[in-house]
Amino acid sequence: MKTNRAKVSSALLAAALMGSTLVGCTGGGKDGGTSSSGNDGGGSGKEVTLKILHNWNGSSAGDVDLTPITKAIQEKTGVNVKLDYTKGSEVEKVNTIFATQDLPDIYTGPAWGGELDGIIKAAKEDQLVDLSGKLAQYPNLAKGIKKENVPPALYEKAIGAFGDKKYMLYQNQPATDKDALDWLYGFYVRKDIADKIGVDPQKVKTKDDLYAFLKKIKDAGLKENGMPVIPLGGFHNGWAVGIGSTMFYGSNYVDKGDGTLENVFFTKAYEDYTLYYRKLLSEGLLDPEAFTQTDPIANEKIKQGRIAVLAAHYPAILDASKDYVKAHPGSDYIPVGPLERAGAEPNRPADLAIQGNNVTVITKSCKNVDAALKLLDFLASDEGFKLVHYGVEGVHYDMANGKPVAKKEIFDKFAADTTGKQKKNEGFGIGFESLTGPDRTNSLGGDIWMDQDRMKAMENARKILRPNGIKVISAYNAGDVITKAPNWETLKPSMDKMNDVWKEAIFAKSDEAALNVLNALRGQLNKMNYPEAIKYVNDNLKGKEVVKVQMPN
Amino acid sequence: MTAHPLVKRIWRHKLFYLFMLPGIVWFFLFSYVPLFGIQVAFRDFRFSGGFSGSPWAGLKYFHQFFGYYQAWELIRNTILISAMKLSVGFTMPIVLAILLNEVRNLRFKKVVQTLSYLPYFVSWVVVVTLMQRLLTPYGGPVNDFLRGTGLIQEPITFLNNTTWFYQVILGSDVWKNIGWNSIIYMAAIAGIDQQLYEAARIDGAGRFRQMWHVTLPGIRNIAVILFILATGSLMSAGYEQLLLLNGPATAAIGSVLDVHVINSGISEGRLSYAAAVGLFQSVIALVLIVTVNRVARKISDVSLF
Repeated sequence: MKTNRAKVSSALLAAALMGSTLVGCTGGGKDGGTSSSGNDGGGSGKEVTLKILHNWNGSSAGDVDLTPITKAIQEKTGVNVKLDYTKGSEVEKVNTIFATQDLPDIYTGPAWGGELDGIIKAAKEDQLVDLSGKLAQYPNLAKGIKKENVPPALYEKAIGAFGDKKYMLYQNQPATDKDALDWLYGFYVRKDIADKIGVDPQKVKTKDDLYAFLKKIKDAGLKENGMPVIPLGGFHNGWAVGIGSTMFYGSNYVDKGDGTLENVFFTKAYEDYTLYYRKLLSEGLLDPEAFTQTDPIANEKIKQGRIAVLAAHYPAILDASKDYVKAHPGSDYIPVGPLERAGAEPNRPADLAIQGNNVTVITKSCKNVDAALKLLDFLASDEGFKLVHYGVEGVHYDMANGKPVAKKEIFDKFAADTTGKQKKNEGFGIGFESLTGPDRTNSLGGDIWMDQDRMKAMENARKILRPNGIKVISAYNAGDVITKAPNWETLKPSMDKMNDVWKEAIFAKSDEAALNVLNALRGQLNKMNYPEAIKYVNDNLKGKEVVKVQMPN
Repeated sequence: MTAHPLVKRIWRHKLFYLFMLPGIVWFFLFSYVPLFGIQVAFRDFRFSGGFSGSPWAGLKYFHQFFGYYQAWELIRNTILISAMKLSVGFTMPIVLAILLNEVRNLRFKKVVQTLSYLPYFVSWVVVVTLMQRLLTPYGGPVNDFLRGTGLIQEPITFLNNTTWFYQVILGSDVWKNIGWNSIIYMAAIAGIDQQLYEAARIDGAGRFRQMWHVTLPGIRNIAVILFILATGSLMSAGYEQLLLLNGPATAAIGSVLDVHVINSGISEGRLSYAAAVGLFQSVIALVLIVTVNRVARKISDVSLF
């Protein structure tokens, strides 16, 4: 009896072990609760649940599953939205979802770089739904991808690249000139530190000035929390300490002098730019951890007041420094410069590529394409845009003189919360903004949630950094054209190495070693027929207006 | 008709075989089923075609890898780092097991054993974050200590520094794995017949001689087998650790095949290329295991197969 019991127990134990092994092997990627059901777009009252992948690293929801805004969207469209977010590289996420076929119903993500390349590949390989036959019923979506509403190179490369077929929707391009959003990329210094070392940041104009400025900060031997203040720092993986490139060259493809274009990587200007950063790094003026750190570590340094000059866009700097500034009044980050720009006259407006930032697609796994289109069309409408950006009328805002005005108690609640959680819990900033069609923030009433201090800081920075205003670039970008060269597939892996190689070069032991690192990749690029690709670019851009000066945005 | 003797034997020990079943299923699913995917290395992988529906590409991706200007640098770095890990990482657990065997205070022995196992269960992400905090030149405790004791004047950038890269890689690898890897040697030592020690003592052997003539020969076979297995990973330097610890400053000596495979496959979406490089690693590993196994069999009569 005892033996039998032992045998039965052993058998059960073994079965349980095997069972757990097999359970572990089942595809956990599919979330039964988020698959689509029904087929009528919610019109008949059937609930449809759609999973949307918001492919932006760092984006996230709040603590509430069903926010007031999500609920309002559900009531309007009959679609219950489940948002999924990317933690880590956006490019990796695109490649992974298609390679593993763990697809969301709707995808929205960056309208450039490797992310867009992945979406184009997916379109070519029948992974996306062709929307061309249905767009007539969804006017807001159709309008957003009309040729005149999309930058020409992006239209040729992606949105309109498939003849009569249309796979991609385009989000957030400025609807009018006044909706153009300038992120105000630049170098920003802590005001108290600039005062301490006695330098007016607006007197810093040239690369030599910037070097001397950083050196003076280092030599001052400042300390915060017992730790040394780092003269120049950035955010995750070096973002965006390299923006000093504009002092050395105008854009990534420069005129060789004979009217033809060359990738700047092959030029002397690029070498100078590399050696300048190598000098900053070797003299302890640039944070060596900047290229390997994560955002939490970067934010920690900023919150401890340990970075004197930050290079990034202003909203990110204002967000990261909020806590420190609150505790240490007068320590706000203010603009440095404006710095000299290579190839640009001093009175030239800032050349910015202001365009949409999201491409949205419906994947072949979407079981209810009509419901997805109904949802996206609603979000792209003025009503949807206002709901996502301003909230529920009467709850979050009221209309006064035809313009939305934030309710005071809600505004104060958001302003007092430095974590941003309160906003997310209401449904703001959780991803719907990436699905609302053309950007109409200013045309429809402005950003009603921006507090006065932030608005003043942005306005002040704009005055300093954009003395001649801005000019929105509409010319062709050689970087887009080269991706259509016949040998692009074999050339691309080496072209993608440029940024890594630049970082490697600035850490080199000597200037000579740094140049050797650049030259090794130049050799590889030539071996991979770069000359053939750049010839294709020059042939195709003959007679066309080409981007030769561009600032980060 | 009588059943085959093997079937009879299995049936007789069915409960033991039942216990083996989860392991067999695991190996089948995660080691043998994926072999089907090897064909991707010889195809132009397409999302729509999948493993078997994508067009054949021959050796295109192998040519691409060997034509890549950093291919030999990647191979060299991988072998160098693996060889260092093999030489240090293989011997240190043996040393720890022997040292622990000599400890007579059981309480102390158990505390040391537990503390040495713990790092094994901590992920590399956590270990690297810890290292970043400890080793940072900006107020990190290690630099503070060294400066406090007057050993250095200026803080040292331990990470992102070619001078310290190998030390950091090896040190963290040994710290993380030494305890876990010593378990098997501890078990082997526990299995040595105590009469051998008594005989050695009667013959006048001290502690060192007992270790040399009894303990070490007692664990020789298990050490040889583990060494053969370890040579299989000579072309694989450990992607998690190097993905996290290697940066632009150390790229020239720290870029390895494992990370190259991950980057080209997942980040760049070149799945066929990544599969080709991965297959190259595996084939070399297989050749190494077979060779070392033969050599071991000739030299010591101990081998895996």
